[in-house]
Amino acid sequence: MTNSCSAVSKVLEKYFDQEVTGEERFLVEGHLQDCPACRDALKSMEELRTWMRVPVDEAVRKEDFPWVWQKIERGIRLQEQRSWWQSLRSWLDVTPLFRKKVWIPAVATIVVLLFISTQIIFKQTPSYQGASVVEYLESPTCNVMVYQLEEPKVTVIWMFEGPEEEHTTT
Amino acid sequence: MNSEETEMISRCQRGDQEALKEIFDKYHKKVYRIAYGVVRQREEALDVVQEVFIKLFRSIKDFKGRSHFYTYLYRMAMNTAIDHKRKAGKQFMSSLDEEGSFEPSEVAEKGPERILLQKELEEKVKLAMDKLPDEQRAALIYRDVEGLSYQEMAEAMGCSIGTVMSRLHYGRKRLQESLKDYVKLQAQGRGASTAEGLDEAGKEGEDR
Repeated sequence: MTNSCSAVSKVLEKYFDQEVTGEERFLVEGHLQDCPACRDALKSMEELRTWMRVPVDEAVRKEDFPWVWQKIERGIRLQEQRSWWQSLRSWLDVTPLFRKKVWIPAVATIVVLLFISTQIIFKQTPSYQGASVVEYLESPTCNVMVYQLEEPKVTVIWMFEGPEEEHTTT
Repeated sequence: MNSEETEMISRCQRGDQEALKEIFDKYHKKVYRIAYGVVRQREEALDVVQEVFIKLFRSIKDFKGRSHFYTYLYRMAMNTAIDHKRKAGKQFMSSLDEEGSFEPSEVAEKGPERILLQKELEEKVKLAMDKLPDEQRAALIYRDVEGLSYQEMAEAMGCSIGTVMSRLHYGRKRLQESLKDYVKLQAQGRGASTAEGLDEAGKEGEDR
């Protein structure tokens, strides 16, 4: 290497990449004529470039691309379907429920409400189903209540004198 | 960016698949070159191409036209290819199964020994490229495979021209280091051919 090599080496790579100014090009080309070491350095860069580029060029030359476009079209279609499903999910917005675990108290509340409502709906009615009070009489000594049952056809007369004494006559 | 391309891009931004097909027709080979440069494996590179254009169709609305469209697309291709490579990990480690198959015409043309040497060198280059940091590998692919200028590279990589030059310099240095035996062989070959050339020239001189 000559003394000017260090100055040239700074722009040699730029020269190789064709990014030098006219002045720099003149400097490098003048130097390269007398410097085999810099010529070798330039040649090595060229070889590296060839080694990187040739396999890629060959791969492109061998490739048939139309079917790739078909796959892209299919991919876009699939994605559109997925995005429809995703938009539905986001509209329903169920995922945050699962993520934040707020569903535990929500489900517990629903269960309690269901339990209470079933208790109200299926509450046991008095044993005398379909009974209706026909008459009810109150006096200072005795109270009388007359029931009429539909099935079987029975009339119940309920007499009671005080809170402890009760008589039932059928 | 010419008006035809601007129009094509804005149609694509409105969801026109025909416009995407036009973009594909114009750029698919370049995207494939970048993808192949990174992953160095046919099937993977094709997957990258597919993924890039699907991504592009989805995200082209974000392209504001502040940079060249192709640098925007190249950056997308590079990032997707690097992601693929990372995900696949060691699957990319050298395999001669697919890439090592020779075409009969190729063998007849170059001879089996030369092809074998070439394949070996390709494998070495591939391994050496794999060892490079992502930014340096990207710089080498943009410049040495795709032939972008420093300015275009800076746009595609989102950095300054100085950074581009530094990445290229260190990338080349590392690559030369990894392949020094081959570089030396080539240099010896050059020396031998120069010596042969000189001998022949000398003989010619004597004959005269």
